[in-house]
Amino acid sequence: MSEKEHKVSRRQFLTYTLTGVGGFMAAGMLMPMARFALDPALQAGGDTDFIRVTSVDDLTEEPQRFNFTIEQEDAWYTSDVDRVAWVYREGDEIVALSPVCTHLGCTVNWEGNEDYPEQFYCPCHFGRFEKDGTNVPNTPPTRPLDVYEMEIRDGDLYLGRTVQR
Amino acid sequence: MKWTTSDIDMYLKAKEYVDTAIIPLIPLDWEKDQKGAVSKGEFSSILIEEMEKQFKGRLFQLPPFTYLISEHNESKIARLKEWDRHFFDNGFKHIIYVTCDGDWKRVEQQIPDLLIWVPALPLENLDPGYAKEMITGQMKQLLPLITDKWQSEPKERNS
Ligand code: FES
Repeated sequence: MSEKEHKVSRRQFLTYTLTGVGGFMAAGMLMPMARFALDPALQAGGDTDFIRVTSVDDLTEEPQRFNFTIEQEDAWYTSDVDRVAWVYREGDEIVALSPVCTHLGCTVNWEGNEDYPEQFYCPCHFGRFEKDGTNVPNTPPTRPLDVYEMEIRDGDLYLGRTVQR
Repeated sequence: MKWTTSDIDMYLKAKEYVDTAIIPLIPLDWEKDQKGAVSKGEFSSILIEEMEKQFKGRLFQLPPFTYLISEHNESKIARLKEWDRHFFDNGFKHIIYVTCDGDWKRVEQQIPDLLIWVPALPLENLDPGYAKEMITGQMKQLLPLITDKWQSEPKERNS
């Protein structure tokens, strides 16, 4: 290898490296900003995979509470987040509801108030929802509980992100 | 709701529904029992995190009221009353103080609103699944304290 060639290749190497690092840094800054600006949905629902929650055989007509953990990435952190779903089965249909009150976000409970059997109850401002998640008129929530996207594989129920209705 | 800009936006739109503030009382000590102080702070934030999750729409979680363990009761209480007055006058009908520091229990009478004192459990030695169960158990006892408070009239402040 001649001296000249060697020099050029070293300069080239530096140029490439510097552009590389600079480009990489710019992308590192721009990408989250673009994601932040373009896709606010990422923030709300989180970009999650499907997680196994229970075996389908364990589901009943009575909504049951299931806890599971997802990994959530938001603008600054990746963290394990505990999720809750109220799941029931009616015939062939399986429904998995989010427990987050659509009024201001408290956690609702199935039959959380003795006076309202067969309903979800929100302790914060007494919001109520029917078994299928429909909001009861004249209580503060104005839309039904969100539902989880679901998949059934080998007799197991997997839940994904929540969807507004 | 939490001390974040997005939750504040939500709060400003729905103020009339958010009538309760929660304030952690966190002791500091870097002289003798660092670990003790840290574990008190850590445990109370776990509990408060859970409370906030349950009652997000009605409860605002404020930054902690911190103090050196050597600070005298009179001075702590005086400062606490200033916080209480500020938040009570500006929209919170109920203020809940949560702590793992037993010293507050002894001066409970002088605390302007509800004090929830819970001894810190040594979660670090527990299997994570079991620790979660313990917390869930604790919450079953603590959450009704808050819903009961909502059933009652806001506590009167003198003067
Ligand atoms: S947050 Fe559920 S009724 Fe207001």
